[in-house]
Amino acid sequence: MAAESSVAVVLKTIEFSETSLIVTLFTRDFGQVTAIAKGARRPKSSFEGSLDLLAVCRVVLIRKASDALDLLTEAKLNRRFRGADKSLTRLHGGYYLAEMLRLLTETHDPQPMLYDLTLDALSQIDGTGNAALALLGFDAIALRLLGHTPTTRTCADCGVATQLDRSVPFSPAAGGVVCGSCRISQPSVFIVRPKTLQCLERLLDNQTRLPLATASANKIDANYRDVRVLLNRYIEVILGKTPRMQSFLPARMEPSE
Amino acid sequence: MKDQEKHAGAVSNLVDQLCRLPGVGRKSAERLAFHLLRVPESEAYALADAIRRIRSDVHYCKACFNLCEDELCSICQDPQRDQTRLCVVEQPRDLMSLEQSQAFSGVYHVLLGRIAPLDGIGPDQLTIEPLVDRVRTGNFVEVIMATNPTVEGDGTALYLSNQLAEYPVQLTRLARGITAGSVLEYANREMIADALTGRQAL
Ligand SMILES: [Zn+2]
Ligand SMILES: [Zn+2]
Repeated sequence: MAAESSVAVVLKTIEFSETSLIVTLFTRDFGQVTAIAKGARRPKSSFEGSLDLLAVCRVVLIRKASDALDLLTEAKLNRRFRGADKSLTRLHGGYYLAEMLRLLTETHDPQPMLYDLTLDALSQIDGTGNAALALLGFDAIALRLLGHTPTTRTCADCGVATQLDRSVPFSPAAGGVVCGSCRISQPSVFIVRPKTLQCLERLLDNQTRLPLATASANKIDANYRDVRVLLNRYIEVILGKTPRMQSFLPARMEPSE
Repeated sequence: MKDQEKHAGAVSNLVDQLCRLPGVGRKSAERLAFHLLRVPESEAYALADAIRRIRSDVHYCKACFNLCEDELCSICQDPQRDQTRLCVVEQPRDLMSLEQSQAFSGVYHVLLGRIAPLDGIGPDQLTIEPLVDRVRTGNFVEVIMATNPTVEGDGTALYLSNQLAEYPVQLTRLARGITAGSVLEYANREMIADALTGRQAL
C-alpha cells in the first residue's frame, strides 16, 4: 500500500521489542492511528528520537488492513513538549491532553480542526499561556467539534426553554440543562449557577482556536472552579469513565504558574 | 499440533519456555533448544545455573536499589567512591551505561522506573521515599538527575527536584544537545535549543 504523510502528536508509546515501539498518534489527516515503528529504539533510526509523548512530528505511514497495525516508516520532529522544564502543572496539563485525545477520538477518523486546537493548547501549556484556561477551552471546544455540545438554554430532554437568570438542574446523561419536569427522571442531576452556565456558553462560543479572547478569560476567572467541575462531570458521562489525569488538573487559575 | 508431536516431551517443554521470552519466536526457540542438545553438557548446565542464580541470589541493593548479590552492591561497598555525589537513574541498565563510561566516581540511586501518571505509575511505586531519606541523612553535596531525556524522565526529575529542594544539595541534570563529533549544520532545531539552554561557562 502507498505511504501517506501527515502531521501528528504522539499520544502514547509502548516498548514492543528490543528495537521497536508501538506508537499511538493523533494525526491531522487520519485521526488516531496506532502504528508500529520498527527500529525506533535503535540509536540511529529514521525516527531521530522524535517519538516521545506529546512531540509534534511529520510522519509517514503505511496503512494496513483493519485488523493489523499500521506501519510508521518515518517521523521527523517538529517540536518537543517541554512542559517538564516548566512546572508539574504544565506537564500534567500535557498528559491530560494526550489522555483526552486518546479517549475522545477514533481510529482513522480525521478531525483536522481538533488537531489545530490541540496544537494551540499545547503551545499555551508549553509556553507562557494560562494552562488552566487553555485546558478548559480545549475541553469545551473539543466537545463541540465532536458533536457533544451540552445544552445551556433548552431542556436537553424535552426541548423546552429553560431560565437563564436562576440556578438550573444540569444532567450530564441527558446532555445539558433540564427543565423542572424532566429532572425527576434523570439519574444524576446537579444544580448549576447562572454564572457558571454563562461561562460555559462563552467557552462553547463559535471560536475553535486558543487562546480564548481576553474578555472571556476575565469572565471565567472568578468561576473557574465551578466551570471545571461542571465540565469534568459532563466529560465523565461522555467518556463513560473518569480520565486518569482529571484529578491532576489545576485546582485554581494561576496566571503565573 | 504436528510440531509438538515431532519433539519428545522434554524438548517441546523447553521450546515452550523459550518462546515466552521477549523477541523469541517458535522457530528461534527450536533452534536454541537443539543447540543446547548439541553443546557439551557443562555448557548447557552453566546456562541453567546462571538462570537459577539470578533468581535466587540477585536482589536489590539495600542502599541504592542496584542489582546485587549481597546486602549492598559493589559500588555502595567501594570505599573509593565519592559518597558526596549521588546520581539518580531510572533502571539498573542505565546505571550500567553510566558505569561503562567511567566518567562518574560517585554513588547511585536507582528509581526502578519513572513517574508515568498516564500508565497509573505514581511516585509511591518507585524508590523515591528511600531516596529522600538518603539525601536527608547523608552527606551529599550534589544530586545528579540522570533520568532519561524523555517527557516522563524529565517529569520525574522535576518531581524529585521539588522533593529535594529543601535540602542543602546542589541539584543538577545531565547535559543534552548536540552530539560531540557532529556539526551544527546537521543538528535539528530541538538539539540546538537544548545545547543553548545547557551552555557552560568557558
Ligand atoms: Zn424537559
Ligand atoms: Zn548499592
